[in-house]
Amino acid sequence: MKLMHTRLPDFYQKIKDAASKLRPDTDFEVSGLENFKSAKLASLRVGRVEDEIFEITQDEGVKKVEVRLVPYNPESMFTVVIKGIQADGTCKKAILENMYLSSPTEECDLFGVEEIDDRRTGNRQ
Amino acid sequence: MKLKYRIVPKGAANGVVPLNWVFIEKQDIDAAGILPYDACLAVGKALGDDCAAVNIMDMDAITVTSDGIIANGAVVGLASVDHGMINKEFGYLNISEIPFSDKLVEEEPHMRLWLTDYYKGKKLYRGPSTQDRGARTSHNENMTMTGRIANNNVGSEAMNMVDMTEILAPFFGQYELMTGGSVMIGVAGPIVSVGIGMIVSERHGRIFGGDNLGAYRAGMTAHNSGKYAKTVKKDYPAIAAPKSVLAEYSLRALDIGLIPGQHIGCSPALLSLAKAYGKPIAFDNITERAWIELESVGITKESLKASSKVLTRDEVIAQADSIIPGMDDAVKYDVSEICEIKYLDI
Repeated sequence: MKLMHTRLPDFYQKIKDAASKLRPDTDFEVSGLENFKSAKLASLRVGRVEDEIFEITQDEGVKKVEVRLVPYNPESMFTVVIKGIQADGTCKKAILENMYLSSPTEECDLFGVEEIDDRRTGNRQ
Repeated sequence: MKLKYRIVPKGAANGVVPLNWVFIEKQDIDAAGILPYDACLAVGKALGDDCAAVNIMDMDAITVTSDGIIANGAVVGLASVDHGMINKEFGYLNISEIPFSDKLVEEEPHMRLWLTDYYKGKKLYRGPSTQDRGARTSHNENMTMTGRIANNNVGSEAMNMVDMTEILAPFFGQYELMTGGSVMIGVAGPIVSVGIGMIVSERHGRIFGGDNLGAYRAGMTAHNSGKYAKTVKKDYPAIAAPKSVLAEYSLRALDIGLIPGQHIGCSPALLSLAKAYGKPIAFDNITERAWIELESVGITKESLKASSKVLTRDEVIAQADSIIPGMDDAVKYDVSEICEIKYLDI
């Protein structure tokens, strides 16, 4: 299902390319997914994000594009994997726990922004 | 048109209050002809680049404390505001009225208080309905979040998620803020930390219970964390009512035969009041897990069973400061010293 879901490295490359498509000297910064070393992303949504980054650069005053990914649900639940590592690098036992985390919401990235065009679709739960 | 609101500002009480907490009376919102959400947004914009927890209060209604005592007044909506914004799906939470039914009183024995002359016929608000919770999932608390601010447990616990400060406002403290009485502000300490966990089982409670009854009933501990329960909230500041206020409302429950540990929570405050007032305690219905937590702060079966002079109602209220343990280092303030009344143009 290569067409349905995009590889994480490809996502990074696509959004970087989108930022410099109009003006190659546009600075670019992405943050928020540092903990994910591998992932698959919904391709249709990746395409929308690419288009939106390109759209943002239509303003000639834009010198840098920042893309930040924050949890949709700011009170997120995490599984905690606790492992005891042996001298040879193996793990005999792991303990799983879950934990809630309340983190600042996307508004912290929107302070002082003049126009917010919210195109998010409703949640699917 | 002016909208009246109250604010306990960051830095109040000699710097003990770590964040802004706003209280708007529902009747003032109605008089301004706007929706509660829009009132919260208007206050948010009035605060400029600042942030706040916001509680919408109906002082003609009633609510229930976590240990099962009915209080006058209720939080009927809550919000988090930051830089004039409210998060689209998690920033506001309506609290729907819970209609009276015989079934409710039968299932939740502490609600027999609703039948007394103090509260009969008043509207009840506790926790949100399933519809109120909107996009929140089963793991989400009854909390609003916008930007830096979280307003949790139906407006009784607020946090700044950037500077990571936190403050508690047990409901009777909120009642005092709204009625211009006085409040005790100080570190919650280990006894309050334990007491917060001694809850009752409800549908749509302030903290637990959705469409089904909450799993923790009177006599149990929701913290369920043994000797660590006393540490959970011990370091956080709290805005509480004077102990005489807590005593008055709690005695109303004891007066109609509600028993700590059976019908109402087994918090240190309720157990201590029952002993002083000569009322029964459901010793055998209080779980071993709850006793571990109570004993960790010096509330033991032996101390509660020891003979002592039974006080009258007036004596209990007059001596509430020495009867109810906890928040020993709190400072008493007139509400006018820590809470500002403001108006904004609508």
